Amino acid sequence: MAAETDTGAIEDFGQVSRTVGTVFRYLLLAATMFGIVMLAVLLLYVANDAIRPLTADPGWYLAFFLALVAPTGIAGWAVRRRDPAALTFGTFLVGMLVVSLMFSGGVALLVIDVVPPLVALAFAIGLAVPIGATVGLTRYAHRISFTLRLAATTAVFYLSLFGLPGPIGDAVGAPPIVPSLVALVQSVPVIPVDWMMVAAVVGGGSAAAIGTYVASVGDGSAGLYAAGVALAASAAAGAAGPLVGVDSVPAVVITAVALVPTTAYAWRGGFTEEGSPLGLVFAATVVVGALVGAAAVDVLGFAGPQSWVDWGFLTSAHSGTAENAGLYPAIGGSILLMTTVAALSFPVGVGAAVYLEEYAGDNALTRFVDVNISNLAGVPSVVYGLLGLGVFVTYLGRSAGTVLVGGATLALLILPIVIISAREAIRSVPSDMRQASYGMGATRWQTVKNVVLPEAFPGILTGTILALGRAIGETAPLIMIGAPNVVFNLPTALGSKVSAMPLQVYAWSSLFASEDFYTKAVPAGVVVLLAVLLAMNSVAIVLRNKFERTQ
Amino acid sequence: MTREPERNSRFSRREFLAATGGLGVAGLAGCTQDNPSDGATADPTETGSDGSDSDGSGGDGGSGELSGEISIAGSSTVFPLASAMAERFEERHSGVSTSLQSTGSGGGFANYFCTGQTDFNNASRPIQPEEEEQCAGNDVEPVELKVATDALTVIVNNDNEFLGEGLTVEQLREIWSAESQPETWADVDAEWPDEPFELYGPSDASGTYDYFIESVLGEEGPGHRQDYSPTEQDRTIIQGVSGSEFAMGYLGFAYYSQNQDTVQAVPIKDGEGDYVEPSLDTALSGDYTPLSRPLFTYPKVSALEEEHIAEFARFWIENSTSREIVADEVGYVPLSEDERDEMLGKIDSAVGDSD
Repeated sequence: MAAETDTGAIEDFGQVSRTVGTVFRYLLLAATMFGIVMLAVLLLYVANDAIRPLTADPGWYLAFFLALVAPTGIAGWAVRRRDPAALTFGTFLVGMLVVSLMFSGGVALLVIDVVPPLVALAFAIGLAVPIGATVGLTRYAHRISFTLRLAATTAVFYLSLFGLPGPIGDAVGAPPIVPSLVALVQSVPVIPVDWMMVAAVVGGGSAAAIGTYVASVGDGSAGLYAAGVALAASAAAGAAGPLVGVDSVPAVVITAVALVPTTAYAWRGGFTEEGSPLGLVFAATVVVGALVGAAAVDVLGFAGPQSWVDWGFLTSAHSGTAENAGLYPAIGGSILLMTTVAALSFPVGVGAAVYLEEYAGDNALTRFVDVNISNLAGVPSVVYGLLGLGVFVTYLGRSAGTVLVGGATLALLILPIVIISAREAIRSVPSDMRQASYGMGATRWQTVKNVVLPEAFPGILTGTILALGRAIGETAPLIMIGAPNVVFNLPTALGSKVSAMPLQVYAWSSLFASEDFYTKAVPAGVVVLLAVLLAMNSVAIVLRNKFERTQ
Repeated sequence: MTREPERNSRFSRREFLAATGGLGVAGLAGCTQDNPSDGATADPTETGSDGSDSDGSGGDGGSGELSGEISIAGSSTVFPLASAMAERFEERHSGVSTSLQSTGSGGGFANYFCTGQTDFNNASRPIQPEEEEQCAGNDVEPVELKVATDALTVIVNNDNEFLGEGLTVEQLREIWSAESQPETWADVDAEWPDEPFELYGPSDASGTYDYFIESVLGEEGPGHRQDYSPTEQDRTIIQGVSGSEFAMGYLGFAYYSQNQDTVQAVPIKDGEGDYVEPSLDTALSGDYTPLSRPLFTYPKVSALEEEHIAEFARFWIENSTSREIVADEVGYVPLSEDERDEMLGKIDSAVGDSD
């Protein structure tokens, strides 16, 4: 362009060279890749230490190559040529099976070692009954004033969960008059066996979710049938589990949390109108290939890699010898901490985001809050640890290092991130939709409830899961609030001492500093932590993709 | 509009509900169990009689019925020992949930034990008067239990004969201090050969390193010289020293005791005393100074009232004479039988006082 000026002088432009541009481009590429490559090298190193792929027989690799890798490649290529969307669906299906199996492991851990089935059932009933009553009240008696409904709802919940006079009565020393529904259920002399109670609670929850999902795709009655089939499948798994060598309770949980949802997703993707059945072929190839490969190496006697991440590592507690050390209490601790963090930070964070986006006016106070939330997101985690120690332990006098204190501290830590990402999600709801809602005469509350939140929900969920992913890797705040370095059991109450995966890895690398722990337990712990983190992030990414597509 | 399909399917749905309901009832009737929490009222009396039984016999019968939480904090030196004991206790009593935290002796007393948060505080030194005051202010009454002895051993090559009787603490200080940093043996004592030192020791991440500085070089002193071969592996120290006539190193006693043929231990003379050879006996008797120190744990009296905590304290002390756990696994000098009985007596009287 410079050459086209009147004078034709191109002195200012200098020598035109393609080299500069090329060099600049590859420098940028190097900058992009620098961090990723460094991290990848470290992770490969750690994974190699933890899984030790070179210790496997060549036959083991050959068997899995023939049974799993080659057929997957061929099937993937063939499916992609016909229908690329089917390959995506098939890959998602396999991913969903893997991730949901991991989550079912977490749920199984909770029902086996943390919450006794009877307690879970009692609370499920104690919550289901008042929720049912509330729904009925709202649907059939909406002429009753809001205040009256609120009072009635609160009373039903209080009665069901605490009885009369409940905690208020305890405070003034009144004797219990009416036992709560929760206590009533727990005092029944003859109860169903454990797996039936687990089937009712976990299977029931899963069935309700599946029913809603199917109803949203098909119609109401299909949803009802799907829910019934899902519940029946969970219960059947409990009865059939022992026949194939799996305990009833884990069988129920795996079916309810992993198999049933995966099947529902497969049904939707494979057999509904816009479905792509070829994806099922791909997914089946992978699953069958993995099973055949496993059976083949078992029969032929090929030894797999002598990985430190094995069943024993996942299910045993810490030990003084690295070979016997396990991560079980830390895995359970992390799950409980994350549950607490989610329960605390989600409502508060979303509430704050809705207020700031939908209600707050543009004034000095809002701007002040705005700036500070952004700043808080960058405050070092050790400072939050100090805050947790100061507020919860020293000031409020809770005992140090418990699930509640740890969860509350981590919830404070990720609260700004949750608020910021929830605000982003709410902001991305088109204002046309709000205006349309107002135009139909809806109030602001109705607009938020019926338009904004449902539209923004996947985005909010994505942001929260990513924030939880940060919380699950935090070590410093837990050290600050006095979480123990070693525990041997899962915490069974909010007031129990809790360990977490990063904390256990830290303890192994600092307190048990020996070659054995460095090369066995620490890498194995890191691999498990990363696997859990990646599973959580994959859920977030899938939700985000789905969200973007429907936009 | 939405009502229509519901009405059509109502009959079959009712049928379906009836069928599942019937199945459910049949299933419930077939698969029931007695409510364990209902019968729990009978249990405490059983456990109680069992507990008093084991009190008399010394608590050998691991009934597995104990339950509750035990929280332990304190010294990082005692931490591996406490963790080894807790691991074994867990194997017998899976209902007891033990949590261990390494906070350092002082940090444990000030932040956790004396504020009433923890049941045990480990310490690599006796409790200090200020800490006792703080504890008393919060109605926490500590019981001092010695659990092991930590002994450092200075080792040289088997062919080394020029050291003769041994080393004085002053010589040891001169060799390892960052200030003097002698290059050859002759720099320290003219009678020794004019050969360069080959020094092996634990790295600065090790508690042994800290303890060596504390006991030999002095906390306020010039510090540890850095031109030696630091390692986390005690085996490397043994190998290094056994490889050269003019090498020297130091490590925990337990590692030396497993390699008594490979290297020789140097007797140490503290001040005006005699040259004392490191051994289980001299460490126990307190003659081997300044390189031996007792390790403690402090349970609080109010916690010992709880049966599972008293049982754990007894378990720990009973096993603290075990060479397998204390010396071989963790690397400290075990208690003598007399000391064990004395500590058990302290527990019993603490439990008795509180009753």
